[in-house]
Amino acid sequence: MRWGMLINLVKCVGCYSCVVKCEQEHFLPPDVLFSRLLISETGEYPRALKHVYPVLCNHCKEAKCVDACPTRATQKRDDGIVWVDANRCVGCRYCIMACPYQVRTYYDEEKEYYPGQGLTEFEKLGKKLHPYQTGTVVKCNFCMDRVDSGIKRGLKPGIDRDATPACVITCPAKARYFGDLDDPDSEISMLTRKWRPVQLHPEHGTEPSVFYVIG
Amino acid sequence: MIQTRPYEFMVSYTPQTQWIEKGGIKLWLAFFFIELGAGMFFVASLLDNLWAMSIGWLLCAVLGGGFHLLYLGKPLRFWRMAFSSGWKTSWISRGIIFVSLFLGLGFIHILLMQSGIRSTGLIVAADIFAFLTVIYGGFAMNYVNGIPLWNTALLPILYVVSGLWGGAEVTLGISLGSGGIVAGKAVEEWIRILLIGYLLLVPVYLMSVRYTSSTGQVSVKYMLQGQWSVLFWVGVVVLGMIIPAVAVINSIVTDIETISMTFLYSAILSGLIGDLAMRYLILRCGVYGPLIPSSTYA
Repeated sequence: MRWGMLINLVKCVGCYSCVVKCEQEHFLPPDVLFSRLLISETGEYPRALKHVYPVLCNHCKEAKCVDACPTRATQKRDDGIVWVDANRCVGCRYCIMACPYQVRTYYDEEKEYYPGQGLTEFEKLGKKLHPYQTGTVVKCNFCMDRVDSGIKRGLKPGIDRDATPACVITCPAKARYFGDLDDPDSEISMLTRKWRPVQLHPEHGTEPSVFYVIG
Repeated sequence: MIQTRPYEFMVSYTPQTQWIEKGGIKLWLAFFFIELGAGMFFVASLLDNLWAMSIGWLLCAVLGGGFHLLYLGKPLRFWRMAFSSGWKTSWISRGIIFVSLFLGLGFIHILLMQSGIRSTGLIVAADIFAFLTVIYGGFAMNYVNGIPLWNTALLPILYVVSGLWGGAEVTLGISLGSGGIVAGKAVEEWIRILLIGYLLLVPVYLMSVRYTSSTGQVSVKYMLQGQWSVLFWVGVVVLGMIIPAVAVINSIVTDIETISMTFLYSAILSGLIGDLAMRYLILRCGVYGPLIPSSTYA
């Protein structure tokens, strides 16, 4: 089993729903993003084009960050999800350096969303549910809590909303697909065969589990 | 400073920041002192110079180790880096093991030498780990394949040469300062060879990176022509290469005993500043290529 994600850039409208939903789902503190939109422009008016690339941890099959971690805080599960055990992380940031996709974040200090005005109810709740440790590295974990609890309840990730990563279920354009890349009958595998998506920087030999369909 | 506006992050060439900006600056100093200290111990042990060995050990343990600990986000967990299975794949973990073994064995050797006991097996083991301590930083950076400036086999070699050269320079200063002209002459031979190696390696390293990829080209451009060019040409070339080379040529033409001590110490200091500048630039000019290849634009 290897969980993967397919992002159809033809459908993506660059609305930032995935970014906002991810922040909400994980109660992310200020300046920490697990999911981003990379926006660039090419050409010049009147032939200028705007390009939007949603990026997140690629959960690489050959993850450089896993091998780089000196304490084994960054681990890869049997289902391919790469996650960070904050209790083991020493904050050396070697994983951030090793990641060619730069999708990891060093959580260096606690900040408030509204500086000087105290924590909002959302932030207070977040501290209880997701007590991120300062001085450690954080990253996208494919919403593994949702996936795991969904599987326990007999749900199928990628099909049932409650077992699927938050960014996938919130996408209004239905541009994201999630599922088992090793299962030839899963929707993501069938779409991968059909659309022939690309991975980011395959030359690094990391074999990312996030694929992009590019028109 | 290389500025990246928020909307340019990973869209255009993005400099690494974690290992040089804010607290990251401590890692630059940590690598410098760790390698300088271990290099010094290595060279001094071959000359049986107890003073230089002790100072090298202290530089490595106190300044190198201290800056390393200060850099960590969770310094009290540092022991996990040595006592996990991370050493199988992680150069940082291996480095911590090398440094710990070098410091342990080196400390015992220094104590025994003070008591007049000399153990060949112990010093050989300490020297092996001192050498591995000098080299591990280069391998740790070489592993980062997203940064072409670091991802070259020449980087560990450059770090070994500069670490041993810096160590030999300080050892020379200590030897001459304590009146050890004979030992000083022996170190001088080391310095000549290592300086020639350094003078050859720096341009070869930069040329190889320059022609590896467009990202490598950008890194080298930042260093040689961009906002860091002054530091490169003044710090690395003039202070780190030309002044030490003049001192070495002077010592060949005349004799080390006849050279002004002020000039000699200035050249040693200048070489160390040049090494620091080179290491700073290697960290500062390390850039990642754009995440989105233009050929895949939707």
